[in-house]
Amino acid sequence: MTGDNVDRRSFLKLAGGAAATASLAGCAGDGGGEGTDDGTGTGTDGGGGSTMTEGGDETETQTEQAEPETREEYLQRANQVLHDEAPWIFLNRQYSVYGKSNRIEWEARRDERIDAYEITPTEGSDVRITQSQLDSGLDPHDHRETPTDNIVLQSYEGLLSRDAEGNVTEALSNGYERVEDGRVRFMIREGVTFHSGEELTPADVAFSVNRIVQENIGGLVSPQSDQLAGVTSAEVVDGERAVDVVSEGGINPIVFSLFATYCDIVQQQWIEDNDSATINSDMNGTGPFQLDSYDQGVSVSYTRYEDYWREPAPAETLEITNAAESSTRVNQLLGGETDIIVNVPPQDAGRVQNSGDTSLSAVPSTRVIYNAMVYNAEPFDSVQFRQAMNYAIDLPSIIENILSGFADPTGQPTLEGFVGYNSDVGPYEQNVEQAQQLVEESGYSGAEITLHTPVGRYLRDLEIAQAVAGQIDELENVSASVEQREFGQLAEELLDGDISTGPSFYLIGWGNATFDASQTIIPLLTTDGALTSYSNEEVDGLIESAQSMGGSDGGSGGDSNSSGNSSE
Amino acid sequence: MSFGRFLLKRVLQGVLVVWGVITAVFLLRFITPGNPVDFVAPLDASQELRQQIAAELGLDQPLYIQYFEYLFGLLQGDMGYSYLSGQEASVIVFNRLPATVELAVAATIVAVVLSIPLGVISATRRHQPADYGATTFSLLGISTPNFWLGIMLLLVLSVQFDVFPVGRRGIPFVDAFTLLLQGNVSGMQLWLSHIALPAITLGTYFTALITRLTRSGMLDELGKSYVRAARAKGIPETLVRYRHALRNTLIPVITVVGLQLGTLIGGAVITEQVFNWPGLGLEVIGAVNARDWPILQGSLIVIGIGFVLVNIVVDALYAYLDPRVVD
Repeated sequence: MTGDNVDRRSFLKLAGGAAATASLAGCAGDGGGEGTDDGTGTGTDGGGGSTMTEGGDETETQTEQAEPETREEYLQRANQVLHDEAPWIFLNRQYSVYGKSNRIEWEARRDERIDAYEITPTEGSDVRITQSQLDSGLDPHDHRETPTDNIVLQSYEGLLSRDAEGNVTEALSNGYERVEDGRVRFMIREGVTFHSGEELTPADVAFSVNRIVQENIGGLVSPQSDQLAGVTSAEVVDGERAVDVVSEGGINPIVFSLFATYCDIVQQQWIEDNDSATINSDMNGTGPFQLDSYDQGVSVSYTRYEDYWREPAPAETLEITNAAESSTRVNQLLGGETDIIVNVPPQDAGRVQNSGDTSLSAVPSTRVIYNAMVYNAEPFDSVQFRQAMNYAIDLPSIIENILSGFADPTGQPTLEGFVGYNSDVGPYEQNVEQAQQLVEESGYSGAEITLHTPVGRYLRDLEIAQAVAGQIDELENVSASVEQREFGQLAEELLDGDISTGPSFYLIGWGNATFDASQTIIPLLTTDGALTSYSNEEVDGLIESAQSMGGSDGGSGGDSNSSGNSSE
Repeated sequence: MSFGRFLLKRVLQGVLVVWGVITAVFLLRFITPGNPVDFVAPLDASQELRQQIAAELGLDQPLYIQYFEYLFGLLQGDMGYSYLSGQEASVIVFNRLPATVELAVAATIVAVVLSIPLGVISATRRHQPADYGATTFSLLGISTPNFWLGIMLLLVLSVQFDVFPVGRRGIPFVDAFTLLLQGNVSGMQLWLSHIALPAITLGTYFTALITRLTRSGMLDELGKSYVRAARAKGIPETLVRYRHALRNTLIPVITVVGLQLGTLIGGAVITEQVFNWPGLGLEVIGAVNARDWPILQGSLIVIGIGFVLVNIVVDALYAYLDPRVVD
């Protein structure tokens, strides 16, 4: 472990003084808090490009760490710096926990989507899914949330897709390549028809991309335009069944990953012939299920599309309904009225698992839950104080007792399995003495802090916040409390573009469906991020370097060309 | 004052109240924290995209322009468009309204059918086991939270014994009734199986309330001199109770039932949530959480208008039954 720490120190030294030994007290991810780091460092975090002075523990050697060479290495280093600088209390990776009946065969995906094509009924031929909420309209380019994805993606498809593990796969595109910096080419699959019977054309694909990224095409300002980050236009390639996607500003390293997550393909003529109300209540895609009936807010019914370009789906009919109350969903599953339910609460997991006719399907999701500590607000402007908050937390206990084990601890912003995840960085381990000592060193002994948390937005968010505040409050030199916030009010304060108007300590979650570290770090932890709480020149520099490099152009898992996007 | 003038006055007052509701509901959005754009745009959307979306939703206009545009739209039956789904708010609201009305009426029927006999039995068998049973039921009914009762009924009768389906509407009453007219009873069976538990849940408090009201009304009436006179004349006790005392008791009861119907339409929110009943209450919750103001405003205005209409009808009935009210 000591060797580990030496490496981290060395890296930080090399990295230009943005972090210092003091921050290393926080990088005992694999057993932190033992021994050698005690008493290290005093210093101040100067915000962007913080400067630190090293104190104590002078015996450690400082060796230079090799400069990152690949995009993934830059992202990994950014994650290491962020672990050490502790801009968050790193909490948990949320699990997607589904209940399913024994009359179907299906396993949960990691990207929180339910692809009904993957469901095989073992009794009958119909499948019913119950979500917590239904769609916000059926226009595939005019929404941003997972429940709507789960409804429109049964009928619409993208150029690329993902398998259950999150690896990039081909869909309506049967080949893709980088033509030059800022230009990638998608070959368009032949023999694909829309549910209206019309054949898919490259013009439809170019129109679909442009409808998202450009204003006044297809009659909307798409909330997804920022999700195709960097993409500015698409055009049909003369003489080929292909479409070029153009990104301004040179290489777009995550472009393939973006297209594996976003950009459903619509038929240009159908969109142009119909008004918004029709596009939001009907669907004409190429997917495995075609819309049968739509009762807004009540149910969406589909029938299998027999002319689908792959084998027709195993299920003949599909119905998606909703029940906002988790107990109602569980009761519906136990009562045999539905086949899959989302978000089984931990307290009901046993009922679902033990009923005999139902079972659980749980996978690590793409969502991380964290407590942001605003870098320029007292007392969180001290890296020691932020580290102390991480050391104060008994994360395994929270996961076991509050989340019934349905979560993984985190120690960096990027989740395991994502491009840029740093496997050398582990979670902080609770060390109350070290936490108290770090608080003393920070100069903020006696600080009173308030953790703002939404209620009911994330799985057991209030309970997690109360546990965090309670454990911090047990430190002798810090007192902590919880303030419950309505999510809309909290979001307004966090999203107004002014970091000073919001709370300085808050719990929030972030979903990143693109499986790429950049799409968590850029919005949340870089100076200009839309939802940032942190500024550090070193992190900004590492991310900038990473984003200026292409990744491997592979089309499968861990594609460093992919990136992702957000959700709540 | 003639009955016509009285009614006209009530209608004009009702119009003023509706205008007040519209204005209050409209202004609510400006004192409520939370920006609808935050629910339409991704959290990591740029400020530029947020501004574009705000402009598309018309949120960049000054308050008075938004207000007058909204009022002008309402006069033409246009409640605006849902921020989230882009659908006409009026279509969504009026699609949801029948389910709520259906549930409120069913709950009222459950309440009336159960409560009036209970109240009468309780009053006529005072201090007997039946009375104790009825008053205990009333106390429990008034004290039991809706959401708890609903969940318990679901757990026991739906999950454990599989007697009723777990939530959802099943089939609209109109469709079930149409099928019934064609000689097919399956639709009505389906409707009844789905609405039974929500109606019992929503109607329980109401049942308890009317039971107490009927009991106290009956006791009051039975102690009056005209009842003593009737008994003295040798009129059978059954006739005294049900033809004379009960009839007089029912006047205030019917008034309360009428007014409570309006309350039920607006107050079915929790029951609809527990039973996943696709009514206005469920829509209101979703709209509040997502700051979908056109839907929220439309729902509240429709509920408000419903309440005002019920009040006018009750006032008119009162005036008709007791002309002294008009003066």
